[in-house]
Amino acid sequence: VSYLIASNLDEVISSLRDGSGKVRVVAGATDLYLQDLPYGLVDLSTLPETTVIEQEDGLIRLGAAITHTTAASSPLILSRAKALAEGCKAIGSPQIRNIGTIGGNVINAAPAADAAVALVGLGAEAVIIDIEGNRRQVAVENLYCTYNRSVVDSTKEVMISLQFKSCLGGEGSAFTRFAARRALALPMVNAAARVKLENGIVKEVRLVAAPVNPAPSRLLKTEELIIGRPINGETISMVENSAAEEVEVRGSLLRCSAQYRVHLIGVLVSRVFKIAADRAMNPGKAGE
Amino acid sequence: MTLKTSKKNTSRYGKAEETEYQSLEVWSKVTGKAVYGIDLDLPGMLHGKILRSPFPHARIKRVDASVAEAMPGVRAVLTGAGLEQRPFGIAVKDELPLAVDTVRYVGDEVAAVAAVDLQTAERAIKAIIIEYEELPAVYDPAEALQEGAPQLHDNFPRNLAWQRNLERGSFEAAFTEADLVVEGNFTVPAIHQVYLEPIACVAVDEPYTGITLHTALQSPDVVRKIVAGVLNYPLSKVNIDGPVMGGGFGGRVYGNLKVYILSALLAIKSGRPVKIQLTREEEFIAGRPMIAAVINMKMAVRKDGTILGREADIITDNGAYSAQAPWVSKTLSERNDSVYRIPIIKTRVRLAYTNKIPTGQYRAYGNQVANFATESLIDMAAKKLGLDPLQIRLKNCVREGDITVHGLQIFKCGLSECLRAAAKEIGWNKKKAGHGYGLSVAIHANGSLVVDKNFRGASALSRLELDGRVTLFTGEQDYGQGTHGAFAQIFARALDVSPTQVTVESKQTKTAPFSTGALAMRQTTVGGKAIQLAAEDLKEKIFKNAAELAGEPVTMKNGILTSISGRKLELAEIAYHYHTITSGLSLTGEGKYVPEESDYDESGYGNISVAYSFAAHAVEVELDKTTGALTVNHLVAAHDSGRIVNHLTSRGQVYGGVAQGIGMSCFEGCLFNEGRMANASLADYKIPTSLDLPEIDPLFIEIEDPAGPYGSKGLGEIVMVPVIGAVANAAADAAGVRITDLPLTAEKIYQAMVGRECDQ
Repeated sequence: VSYLIASNLDEVISSLRDGSGKVRVVAGATDLYLQDLPYGLVDLSTLPETTVIEQEDGLIRLGAAITHTTAASSPLILSRAKALAEGCKAIGSPQIRNIGTIGGNVINAAPAADAAVALVGLGAEAVIIDIEGNRRQVAVENLYCTYNRSVVDSTKEVMISLQFKSCLGGEGSAFTRFAARRALALPMVNAAARVKLENGIVKEVRLVAAPVNPAPSRLLKTEELIIGRPINGETISMVENSAAEEVEVRGSLLRCSAQYRVHLIGVLVSRVFKIAADRAMNPGKAGE
Repeated sequence: MTLKTSKKNTSRYGKAEETEYQSLEVWSKVTGKAVYGIDLDLPGMLHGKILRSPFPHARIKRVDASVAEAMPGVRAVLTGAGLEQRPFGIAVKDELPLAVDTVRYVGDEVAAVAAVDLQTAERAIKAIIIEYEELPAVYDPAEALQEGAPQLHDNFPRNLAWQRNLERGSFEAAFTEADLVVEGNFTVPAIHQVYLEPIACVAVDEPYTGITLHTALQSPDVVRKIVAGVLNYPLSKVNIDGPVMGGGFGGRVYGNLKVYILSALLAIKSGRPVKIQLTREEEFIAGRPMIAAVINMKMAVRKDGTILGREADIITDNGAYSAQAPWVSKTLSERNDSVYRIPIIKTRVRLAYTNKIPTGQYRAYGNQVANFATESLIDMAAKKLGLDPLQIRLKNCVREGDITVHGLQIFKCGLSECLRAAAKEIGWNKKKAGHGYGLSVAIHANGSLVVDKNFRGASALSRLELDGRVTLFTGEQDYGQGTHGAFAQIFARALDVSPTQVTVESKQTKTAPFSTGALAMRQTTVGGKAIQLAAEDLKEKIFKNAAELAGEPVTMKNGILTSISGRKLELAEIAYHYHTITSGLSLTGEGKYVPEESDYDESGYGNISVAYSFAAHAVEVELDKTTGALTVNHLVAAHDSGRIVNHLTSRGQVYGGVAQGIGMSCFEGCLFNEGRMANASLADYKIPTSLDLPEIDPLFIEIEDPAGPYGSKGLGEIVMVPVIGAVANAAADAAGVRITDLPLTAEKIYQAMVGRECDQ
């Protein structure tokens, strides 16, 4: 197995091109390491493009190789994209968070990956370039072809960064999860929300729950239902009931029954909705 | 998890001194220098791999290992048919090293290979062709006992591996007199011990020394006998040389006999050292978890809370082979009865063979399983009668001077003090609104006679080295619990030297005195007493020789001898003196502790142990009623283990035992899908992380018990016992509804709460 630590993006692209399907991109390797590796690997975790954290014109750009630890402790993320900080904080263990990356969390395509769920909640798009030099932007939720399989072919394509609108005035976000134990456990359910309020009325909202489908799923019916409604107990229970009604899920011997998962989705989505709305109303010193 | 250094230790004999001696053995571990079984690598060593059955129950129709045998790098291949095999077992001889015509669980050993490296061995076992014919299988122990269920072993009709019917007193009388009878069905899954280091063994066969097994065991002497029997080797030609042990918790008492036997057979066949190391998945699918149990229990109570009797019908799930399951079933079915003054008991236990993983023992030997049932019923009775759970326990708990329903003689007992201390510390009389509180109590024997009635005690040897230090030879094992450090302290106190002067040696079965092992919470009490005696014997000889050397009587203080005329003699001088006059011998001391007072009759009635340890735990929990999620906030563990030898390691025992108890209460359990273990990885078999553990507050109620060395008793297994009942009671208090099926998951609690709302 060859392992190249790329020093610039061109090196990544040329390695993939020369590898003709036998070389793939790696960053934290926390998931890749568990698989058989019949590949050469090109490591993009130290490039300027993949490690950037910046905000420009209300848009936050995060390098795909930003680690969960970095994301969870970044003042910018903590103040303008709290859902992502909370999602990244929930992943694995400190050791895994120290090397696992947000890009990897998306590309690995697990149906309820915490960072990916938060990113979908925030409305993030991935910036991807391929070996021909084409560049495209795709919403994170559209990067999943099936369970545990990304549309991104890491032998031909590279996710460079993720970007989404910063939560500025009147916007807030939140993430939460429910699992059998407090660390190192796949969630029974995780959920994220982003809410924009105007005069206490829901102007825009994104509600996301997983695992429901291969990709983190937006609860579009529930979102539609509460647009234009005030933040109050009634709206929050409406979120709980509608979210539970909107999803169809499976149960498993290892996690929980389908019935309980549906109940949890209602509870967790309404919780993140309420917290995100609270943050939108009371941004505090730190922003959202 | 918050760890507290408790300063609240109390003693009837005044304030207890905190002792925190740290053995250098600990430093070998924390600096990474200790050599564990998985670290071993001998010159010329081959790697062994076991081929396992993919079916829960099947007939073996054909075995063809010719391709594997011809593979480059393969040095030995074993199949059941090609071996002369002797049946073996711990409680029942129902196993063969390799299956010949039938496999009885997913994981059953069918062939083994030794090759120059692990990859080759793995390829070789995949190249062995086995044709199976699947047989009907049975997974539920109650179904297995029914007429017409698939049979596992010809000589055990209806899959009944073992049973016991026991009645002490007339249970009908207890019922007639009762104001209240509470009843429950309690289920507990098989629980794996999850020691951190997977089982590994390097077997070496040499013409002169015979077989050496480099493997860490809690009970190496017993395993040595079993292995010698299976291999048909003289006992003295089998030696177990123990590397440092990465945890045991009962799982390494007899460990995984298949691993030891197969590595030995491969070493004999190949003529090379062979290492077999289980993967974590193999640990789960072919380990020896503690038996699963279903307990139906009834308790008859008077309206003032007096317990009149209890009846239990218990089915335990043996899995495909017995290991220690009959003994665990026995302890499970009776030990817990002695923690209260229960005058009448009636018990039926049936152990059923099923096509699942064979079972063994876990810390507390099933006592914690019965604790879950008994303590739940006590709270159910208290609630119905409007009594305080603390008061009903204080009213019924055993006290000094009692002889319990099974004949245990309670000479020393601080159980009610433990209860009061734990309740006070948790804030029993100033409970936080909305939080749940639970109590539970425990008794556990210190070295029970149940396994071998004729073998009751322990022995130790000591030797004064030429440099004046002392080596202590014992068969008692330390797997991280701190036994050897405690032994050094006990020995040092008896000899009047510093514990740093004592080295404890227990590695080799061929040189260490025999011991039944690190089990039954016997080592500190029984083993420690032998060590005290070995020190006293040596001390007497030191005095005699020092007096000879000085030509006058001597006294000793802090390891220095002084003759009446003031001549100072160091231990090294005395050692050298004896060495010279005997042309090379060393001064040695012998300790043998053979407690006479314990015995039992055919029904198991009698005082089965020299001493009993006691505990009361109090738990405070919070419940998220919208999801059922339970948070155990605080656990106070009050223990009467006599005088504490070492508070540092004792607190460690409490933290670890509570963590395992929380695991069993809320998280753990083997899950099966058609006989296959569904959660055979550490990702899916969930033991608690430090974030899942409560603040743990150990309290030691130090009541000296003369049975043990300097008043000390055991503290290993008992810690786990009360956790389960206390957590279950606190959860029921918070939820208003009781879960009787472990583990207490959020989903079960939530569904039960919803169900109750529907009922109302």
